[in-house]
Amino acid sequence: MAEPFLDLSDISKAYPGVQALDGISFSVASGEVIGLVGENGAGKSTLMKILGGVVTPDKGVIRIAGAPCPALTVNEASRAGIAFVHQELNLFENLDVAANVFIGREPSTGGPFRLVDNRTMHAETGKLLHLLGVDFSPATPVAQLSLAQQQLVEITKALSLDARLVIMDEPTSSLTVSETNRLLKVIADLKTRGVSVIFISHRLHEVERCADRVIVLRDGRKVGELGQGEIRHDAMIRLMIGRSLKSLYLAPAAPPRAEAMALDQVRTSTFPEQNVSLSLRQGEILGLAGLVGSGRTELARALFGIDHKLGGDVKLAGRPVAITSPREAIDNGLFLVPEDRKRSGLLLDVSISENISLPDLVSYTKSFLMQPAPEAENAERQRKRLNIKTRSVMAAAGTLSGGNQQKVVLAKWLSMRPKVIIFDEPTRGVDVGAKQEIYELMRDLSDQGVAILMISSDMEEVIGVSDRMAVMHEGRISGFLERDRFSEDNVLKLAVGQSLQ
Amino acid sequence: MLKKDLGLLILILVVGAVVAFINPRFLSPINLSNTMNLIGLYGLFSIGVGFVIITGGIELSVGSMFALLGVIFIDLLSTYDVSWMLAFLLIVLAGLLLGSLHGFLVTRMNMQPFIVTLCGLLIYRGIARFYTEDATAGFAFGTSFPMLEWLVAGRTFGIPHSFIAFIIIAVIMGIVLHRSIFGRYLFAVGKNEEAARYSGIRTGRVIAAAYIICGGLAGLAAIFLAMYTRSISPASHGNFYELYAIAAAVLGGCSLRGGEGSVLGIVLGTILLQVLQNLVNLLGIPSSLNFAVIGTVILIGVLADQQIMRRGGFGQIFGRTKTVAQPAAERQT
Amino acid sequence: MKRMLMAGAAFAIALSMTMSAGAQDKKTLAFVVNGASDFWKIAEAGVKKAQEELPNYNLELKYPEQAAAAIQQRLMDDLVAAGVSAIMVSAIDPKTSTEALDRVGGQVPLFTTDSDAPQSKRLAYIGSSNVELGKDAGKLVLKALPEGGKCVGFVGLPGADNARERIEGVKDVIKGSKVELVDVRGDDIDQTRAKRNVEDTLSAMSDVNCMIGFYSYNTPRIYEVLKESGKLGQIKVIGFDEDPITLGGVREGTIEGTVVQNPYEWGYQGMKLMAKVLEGDKSGIPADGLIIVPGQVIEKGNVDAFEAELKARVGK
Repeated sequence: MAEPFLDLSDISKAYPGVQALDGISFSVASGEVIGLVGENGAGKSTLMKILGGVVTPDKGVIRIAGAPCPALTVNEASRAGIAFVHQELNLFENLDVAANVFIGREPSTGGPFRLVDNRTMHAETGKLLHLLGVDFSPATPVAQLSLAQQQLVEITKALSLDARLVIMDEPTSSLTVSETNRLLKVIADLKTRGVSVIFISHRLHEVERCADRVIVLRDGRKVGELGQGEIRHDAMIRLMIGRSLKSLYLAPAAPPRAEAMALDQVRTSTFPEQNVSLSLRQGEILGLAGLVGSGRTELARALFGIDHKLGGDVKLAGRPVAITSPREAIDNGLFLVPEDRKRSGLLLDVSISENISLPDLVSYTKSFLMQPAPEAENAERQRKRLNIKTRSVMAAAGTLSGGNQQKVVLAKWLSMRPKVIIFDEPTRGVDVGAKQEIYELMRDLSDQGVAILMISSDMEEVIGVSDRMAVMHEGRISGFLERDRFSEDNVLKLAVGQSLQ
Repeated sequence: MLKKDLGLLILILVVGAVVAFINPRFLSPINLSNTMNLIGLYGLFSIGVGFVIITGGIELSVGSMFALLGVIFIDLLSTYDVSWMLAFLLIVLAGLLLGSLHGFLVTRMNMQPFIVTLCGLLIYRGIARFYTEDATAGFAFGTSFPMLEWLVAGRTFGIPHSFIAFIIIAVIMGIVLHRSIFGRYLFAVGKNEEAARYSGIRTGRVIAAAYIICGGLAGLAAIFLAMYTRSISPASHGNFYELYAIAAAVLGGCSLRGGEGSVLGIVLGTILLQVLQNLVNLLGIPSSLNFAVIGTVILIGVLADQQIMRRGGFGQIFGRTKTVAQPAAERQT
Repeated sequence: MKRMLMAGAAFAIALSMTMSAGAQDKKTLAFVVNGASDFWKIAEAGVKKAQEELPNYNLELKYPEQAAAAIQQRLMDDLVAAGVSAIMVSAIDPKTSTEALDRVGGQVPLFTTDSDAPQSKRLAYIGSSNVELGKDAGKLVLKALPEGGKCVGFVGLPGADNARERIEGVKDVIKGSKVELVDVRGDDIDQTRAKRNVEDTLSAMSDVNCMIGFYSYNTPRIYEVLKESGKLGQIKVIGFDEDPITLGGVREGTIEGTVVQNPYEWGYQGMKLMAKVLEGDKSGIPADGLIIVPGQVIEKGNVDAFEAELKARVGK
């Protein structure tokens, strides 16, 4: 191990309003498995993008096998043998497994006709699949695979590149226990073949099991490095968080007041046999925890009128309502801050001002004509109130950072009179500073009497922000928790369907 | 005024100046009047098609609607002796009805606009031909409807009434598109239908309304066109006119992806297309080159526009600039 | 799936039964035209007249659903397959479809009408000579402009054979006179453009004093533009074919005259000839294979008689 395969020194990268990476240095030896951990927003993704050649660092030197690569491009990165297994799947569902593995570099036959050599492609893919011990074949269409199987296809793709360094970003987030075990075995196998791995995960025991060394990032800085023997769950957490979980919590100004929303046996089409009943009071933040796919987003969509609910009753402030479209929800003061901001929350290439006024244009009209002046005034007011960092409210919403985009989505609803707001993953893709601002806003709203239902998969967030918590498992609520019983353990147990007794 | 519109206006003026220089008769009152008339005829339905394009849809059936509604209109007047006012009303109503049908199929049945209106193109043309047994529908010699003719084909101080109607419609539609709530919704739906829905916009209704407006304007245009040619051979009447409308809208800055466009742009696009047609005749260019000339100018126009947009040069100077989406800055998770 | 198969089978059986029923009783003679138009309605009248005299035959007039050579060809192939005994066709693109026409001509007696395909194996051509029609129109022009003048022509497809031959005929006659045909504007059979071409010509050339409408719809468009601009009578109009507006203009005296073909006779004579040939009598076919039915010049003097005859034939 004379020369490390990859060596980073003093890598920095800033985005408008945030220092994403600040002087990161570390190296990866051949055949070494590095665990890279950190909270959301710690800078892991930016670092990955830099290694993939997608983003150029402002400062710092990257050396691959000793050779400095000042402006690493996507092509250079892949030629140097750096392969990625992304958290988000980049597969073509209409093609089969082999075609996905070899996409863009299909072996060809037939000379000038450049026909796809299916036989070679399938044989090569088959070998790798065998290595991974999977239960599907190279000819299986990807559309027929489960999420976990698709994840394995991504891994196969990385392996087929003859990678010297495989970077895995949350590869196990949708895998079952046995699939995870198999993946960890694959990692061990890669290691013996001299391939390096950077393993990024929130699941710290997996990191414990496979990493030779762990690097902890927080707020764009490397805050610690744990060597063999030091890699322990609590040590990692301490470094990652750097502060106690309690510090997130902002106590309400007053105890919760009257019931704002009541659900009685509400059923959605995703889990038709299950139902949800809960009660949400004015001035409280009810956290809705659970695993991805437990039916929380579907519940929110049904409440907001995007999807039709299959049954059950919804009462707002004691009055039964039948909401069949978002318009009706909005007219009843029930708002949704959606999970996928870019797809459902904003018109990215429309101005901030027009985004904010969109749900309530009637308020900015005089004899049926839009009045730009009050519209801009309101946008300006919201910009100040929410501290949206932008040069002008006439700038396109898409030019903002994630946190500021989220504030624009919020501004839409705050310009009207909210009674109940459902937040679906309110701080996904939001940087740390803006996160705290959003939490403060939520508390502010609840103190004004707004009832808040917060769907969150971020353990720290759901424990830190909620006044009370409901945990969902496969379409039903598996338990409620009061603040004194909040713990990662309890949430996880309920999320996987166990009871606390 | 958007810079796109300004660029188009400059292009029109340049083309006009060149034609006027080569053949000064281009500027003769009668030629301008004739050209205005055709601008009016084509502009009426181009605005409607533009609305549909702004929602991200497409309308291919207007040409066939002209044949179908046109033969019915002439038949109502000449065979059934229906009063022209009633016939006028019925045809506009029929246009609205066809538009509603398209809107229904697109929004409620979730069919693709291209398929719905392509089928419309085939079906309406077929019905028109069947209805007349492929004969030409026309008025007998000497038949005249003085009031109707004055209204749709007359001229006041040399300004054709079709052009006046077009300007009135354009102003109304301009206000609807750029100043009303509905207009804002049209753009929002065209930009991102899902986000529009999450903002409480009843997107289905907005999209359907665009098709209905388009159908109504097509009905109106069908009457003006029928009274211009005064005879309709259903197999060829209005062939390709949907493409003129789409070309005008695209020249005028409408994006086929939806969410972009302006009424002024569509008006200017229509003007440019008709000036080009006029140019082919006035300069004695072989008429077979007609389509080639139009195609070339559209291609160059759109290409130049995109190049200018990309450089971003000329934009900042002229008032409101378009907010161009930059890939949102890479953010850390 | 099964149900669809059943339905398909039932449909096929029903279809074959009706077809064979027709084919076995009587021999079918088909007249395939080049597209839908009023013009062929007159020919249809001639075919009907022939039908009365040929009770042992089944006469049919067939329209291709689109004026495209390929579609017409398919129609003829289908007819041959269905068992027709003879075909008379107005070929859409006679020059390039020799081979395809021969395929039909190899199986059944084939006649051409309207536009000839002399290279093919057709037995005969029955129709007008467009050059002759053009010459007739040219004579009308000379008569209208004894002092000479400038003419502009209007036509749907300037490159089409019938248009070229008509233009050639006009030019032939006016050659050497003071009359000049300065331009012919095409419109791709788009009536809006046809009208606009006339308008633009008026604005582009102030000294034009004669307009010729080569296709049937061109003359009415010329008439309308001149009427709207108050130039009726000042600019001489010569037309082709028998559009009601054209005939009205002729009666009014604002259109000098129009040259009409005689599709009625094509239909009538053609059908009779086909029947004769099928019976083995080929004496009706001249040596050069051309049976020219002369056109007719309609002027103010004979327009009423012509229109009366037309009405009687078409029944309008």
